[in-house]
Amino acid sequence: MSSSSPKGLSRIAANRLHKELKEWQMNPPAGFKHKVSDNLQRWIVEVNGAPNTLYENETYYLQVDFPENYPMEAPQVIFTHNPPLHPHIYSNGHICLDILYDSWSPAMTVSSICISILSMLSSSTEKARPVDNDRYVRNCRNGKSPKETRWWFHDDKV
Amino acid sequence: MESEEDMLDARSATSDDGFYPNNDDECDSDRMSMGYRYEEEDDDDGMDGDEDAYEDDFLQYGSDEDALHSGRPSYTGRQQLPYTVLTEEAITERQDAAIESVASVLSISRAQACLILRKHEWCVSRVNEEWFADESRVRNCVGLIEKSIKPSMTGQRDIREIKCGICLEYHRIETMQACCCDHYFCQSCWRAYAHTAICDGPGCLSLRCPNPDCNAAVGDELILKLVLEEDKRKYRHYITRSYVEENRRAKWCPAPGCEYAIEFTPGGDIQDVTCNCGHNFCWNCSEEAHRPVECVTVERWILKNSAESENMNWILANSKPCPKCKRPIEKNLGCMHITCTPPCKFEFCWLCLGAWSEHGERTGGFYACNRYEAEKKEGKHDETERRREMAKNSLERYTHYYERWASNEQSKAKALSDLKQLQITQLEKLSDKHSLPMSQLKFLVEAWLQIVECRRVLKWTYAYGYYLPENEATKKQFFEYLQGQAETALERLHQCAEKEVKAHLDGDASNVTFTDFRTKLAGLTSVTKNYFQRLVDAFENGLAEVKDSTAVNTTVQASVKGKCSRSKASSSRSNNASRVVDDEGHWYCRHCTFANTGCSTTCSMCHLETMI
Repeated sequence: MSSSSPKGLSRIAANRLHKELKEWQMNPPAGFKHKVSDNLQRWIVEVNGAPNTLYENETYYLQVDFPENYPMEAPQVIFTHNPPLHPHIYSNGHICLDILYDSWSPAMTVSSICISILSMLSSSTEKARPVDNDRYVRNCRNGKSPKETRWWFHDDKV
Repeated sequence: MESEEDMLDARSATSDDGFYPNNDDECDSDRMSMGYRYEEEDDDDGMDGDEDAYEDDFLQYGSDEDALHSGRPSYTGRQQLPYTVLTEEAITERQDAAIESVASVLSISRAQACLILRKHEWCVSRVNEEWFADESRVRNCVGLIEKSIKPSMTGQRDIREIKCGICLEYHRIETMQACCCDHYFCQSCWRAYAHTAICDGPGCLSLRCPNPDCNAAVGDELILKLVLEEDKRKYRHYITRSYVEENRRAKWCPAPGCEYAIEFTPGGDIQDVTCNCGHNFCWNCSEEAHRPVECVTVERWILKNSAESENMNWILANSKPCPKCKRPIEKNLGCMHITCTPPCKFEFCWLCLGAWSEHGERTGGFYACNRYEAEKKEGKHDETERRREMAKNSLERYTHYYERWASNEQSKAKALSDLKQLQITQLEKLSDKHSLPMSQLKFLVEAWLQIVECRRVLKWTYAYGYYLPENEATKKQFFEYLQGQAETALERLHQCAEKEVKAHLDGDASNVTFTDFRTKLAGLTSVTKNYFQRLVDAFENGLAEVKDSTAVNTTVQASVKGKCSRSKASSSRSNNASRVVDDEGHWYCRHCTFANTGCSTTCSMCHLETMI
């Protein structure tokens, strides 16, 4: 089930998302804000770069789309507008991060994804695009979802 | 399968006495029309034994019970087969035995034993070895955690209820499940988790605890307890498959639709495998059996075909115009001797489109349409013209070999279906008609098995021929000579099996003629088998009989020695052999047996110096 053609959420998915949202509202991850909307299937999350990192005082937006059988299947997470300059983030907003694809587990949550992404940003030592950015972005021109990419996770340091 | 003696006889008959055994002795000249007579050097002490052996082999034909039931190639050795064909049940049995043994030796549960075996190619000895060398490393790699902690108490509302990390709802602890760790999830989340993994494919066999920080493996026990029937079936199927797919000693039979697996017996020397479904394949490259041609040649050839096949398809569309009346003819029988439908009735060779009458005895039995004569036109063409010519020649050359390769493949397929037809209906019909017991009819099955096997060998020799370097002319000629002989014999056998049997099926041929037919077919089978044996032997020697002509004398002796040691024979070709001359003054080349005229010392066929 590709998230590029979204179907409605299953009952289980809707239940779980309500709970996640409630928990988020009570205890949001530091540096993130959920932009309130009535669309449970697409969350827009504001990311604020952590202090003392390359992204300090910068604001980015994550778009999180949930598949029908969430949480068994990973959500699609991309940066919208101007994605941060980062060796694992492509200029079209796609993020090379294993837990979004192969290493997804249903015991993860949007909150845990957000924390991983912030940690990825914080540990970066240079603001640069991935070396294969142009080639990759050209291949994704027809609105391909990052979940259709066969990711190859080169390093876990950044 | 043939009897012990039979096989040994066949070996000694073909490998001891040089390239060309005395077939003529056993077959009347009408069938043996090769035009080359054979005379053995008189001081060859091992010859008498060989002759007897050959005769035995011939007479034994049709009296061997096993041959009827086996499609095994006649070149396979007699020793214990180095592999076992496994059905799904046999696989499950082996898995159970391995699991049982590991579970009891390591004192762990069956589910855990299964997990460990899957990570260690289902090799019990490897598991034991690694476990006792470093148990914690194996546990860590497989994901077996020794359970020590109670369910985590954090985020609890009540001592009896905990929160499921997936649906985020509270459940009573006794309704929840965990694998070998302490991460409890509710049953429906487990079920959905396992279902998603099973739908994703065989990766579900290495499923881990849903907790991202936990490495614990999920065993089959838990999965089979939770999931629905359909998923159970799929999961079990993946486990069975893993025995073959994660095991370097086992492979699936590559035939489409075949569900047998082949397991290699340690210590054996494995090459060609015959699956119970009848498919013959090469253990090393999984392509169709291609002995005596090497895997590399086969790989190159298949690659070449896939690149050029689009081109070839239109060139070699399934029909050809009759060379005489030009009506399109579709080849629907296996042998290359085509007779156009009336009123034309022109008989021709499918491969070269020449008249069939030129293929038989009239040309001295010389069958020549297996060789490709590159036409080297030397003219005053300009560069482009020359290049175009070269491209054309190269395509023509490829077409030549491809066509013969593909035709033999088609003929093989046809022969297989004919064999099936024979076994299903015709044997019974013949048995009724001639009031003969089935056992008297196995010569027919044998003939067809030989045809199938020979078509297969012949087919691959064309791939070999294509890659044989043009500059190794002697080797090429020798190869083409052997191939031509084998092919002629096979054509005769195939035609006899395919066409002459019809008279006995439909017509009212008498029992006497049927006996004649039987003798003829059994004879042809035996002769063809010998020709192919020789071809295969020569290949497996790397055509060692022919080396460059400067070192003829030494290489011939070396190759003779090699042959003898290989066939464990006591006889050896006498080294000071004199020239063999017949009544008409022809002298026979020692290398290719060509009947030369004149008194030169060089054979006009293979250009090897014969006289010392």
